[in-house]
Amino acid sequence: MMQIIVQGLLLSGLYALIAMGFMLIFSIGRTLNLAYGAYIMVGGYMYFWLSQQLGMPQVIGFLGAVSVGALIGLLKHRLIVKPLKGDAVAVEIATLILALITQFALVLIFGDASKILLPLIPGVVTVAGAQVTYNILAATVMSWIIILALYAFVRGTHTGRAMQAVSMDEKGAAISGIDPDRINMITWGISGALGAAGGVFFASYTQLSPQMWLAPVIISVAIVIVGGIGSIIGTLIVAHIIGFLEITVVAVLAPELRGVLTMVLIIGVLIMRPQGLFGREEH
Amino acid sequence: MIRVENLSAFYGKAQALRDVSLHVDEGETIAIVGANGAGKSTLLDSIMGLVRNTGSITMDGQDITGRKPADMVRMGIGYAPERFNLFPHMTVRDNLLVGAYTARDEIEKNMAAVHRLFPRLAEREGQETSTQSGGERQMVSLGRALMTNPRVLLVDEPTIGLAPKVCVEIAEVLKRLSAERGLTVIVTEQNTNFALSLASRLYVLEGGHVTAEGTADELSKDDQLAKSYFGA
Repeated sequence: MMQIIVQGLLLSGLYALIAMGFMLIFSIGRTLNLAYGAYIMVGGYMYFWLSQQLGMPQVIGFLGAVSVGALIGLLKHRLIVKPLKGDAVAVEIATLILALITQFALVLIFGDASKILLPLIPGVVTVAGAQVTYNILAATVMSWIIILALYAFVRGTHTGRAMQAVSMDEKGAAISGIDPDRINMITWGISGALGAAGGVFFASYTQLSPQMWLAPVIISVAIVIVGGIGSIIGTLIVAHIIGFLEITVVAVLAPELRGVLTMVLIIGVLIMRPQGLFGREEH
Repeated sequence: MIRVENLSAFYGKAQALRDVSLHVDEGETIAIVGANGAGKSTLLDSIMGLVRNTGSITMDGQDITGRKPADMVRMGIGYAPERFNLFPHMTVRDNLLVGAYTARDEIEKNMAAVHRLFPRLAEREGQETSTQSGGERQMVSLGRALMTNPRVLLVDEPTIGLAPKVCVEIAEVLKRLSAERGLTVIVTEQNTNFALSLASRLYVLEGGHVTAEGTADELSKDDQLAKSYFGA
């Protein structure tokens, strides 16, 4: 039982971090960014290249991965999203294509084989009777720090408040002196950075492979649909619901059923409460 | 202070304004009157840079045509639109703070001024605007525009759907802003009596075009206008 609680907490923190960047773009940019997985892939591979292949300190590897993720987010907004503004389907198709191109590029550069990321911190610790690697513990603690910093930024700064304003009423934001394009660009940059950070931790939790982008995107979509758009707290809570659901299914039922109950949850929420558990009706 | 010349505005291929010209001097209040669909909101949206337009808009002699809304706010133009465009899941205080995005050095001063004008907003600053009445939302909308520290205030149909008592309250606030702060005000209205109680000059907008302009006395001499707009 304690094993389930500890593993559930650890996995949920990671899921929350991964979903947070996806939720920001969905809430503020009103875009289903299917290329979100590209940040995750690039983050993982960038960290691998800098810290394991070039031998740089892990901190540099992490910061490099986050910086490249942010840069890709900014470029994606400038080169794809802004020119296609107003055409949601075109943006979704273009971002999906971009994710596939990123996957092919990484195969060309790093090869098709999966790679193991060395632990961020090697070793194992016993938490409440459950064996936990320092690696996943560090990933979870970092996830929480990043999520809390994001929450403080969105709730407590003028730029964060502007992001909320743009998500609720773009015209209202514009006549308040906010440039929605600039706020959208910042949001895409932050989303890219969060995705890349999540990619480093996700790859260290599982493994690095050119196919690793798909599972986190599905998890992110699930969390945002079930949680509802626009709520950091909602995203956090639903990440825990889904994290615990998966861990419990694996421990009690069968590993093969891991994602099935999550999908059932999505369908149930779509039918019963389309705006999500914590989302609110659009005004 | 603001001069609009030959302004035409478009939604896609549809033309909503045709060669509109008007001016407002510093500290003056003017009103744009007209029926539904006359183009009143489009005119204010165009001045604010929200609608594609041609023609010329100058402020203090400087050409500001085609600038973004954020630039207009920085130039000193505040806007309270007809549908308020508030942030429904934010509190009253946060809505007002968003208005301070370009005037961060004067938040406390401007917030205190807004609370003096609308004491109800101070009492309900923790309330989400989605749960407020129309009159309260109008107050938040005007308050948010004032938080931008404007020299010119654009107010789009401030009385629409509001109780007569609230309309009087809004009119008093606009008069105080003009008298005490020397604010320049452009207000659009269907309610001509309300417009007359505030404005020194009126423009009549019909079908996206200015068909008459002048003081109330001048306009009331035209029988057809008097019948249509002044209840004669």
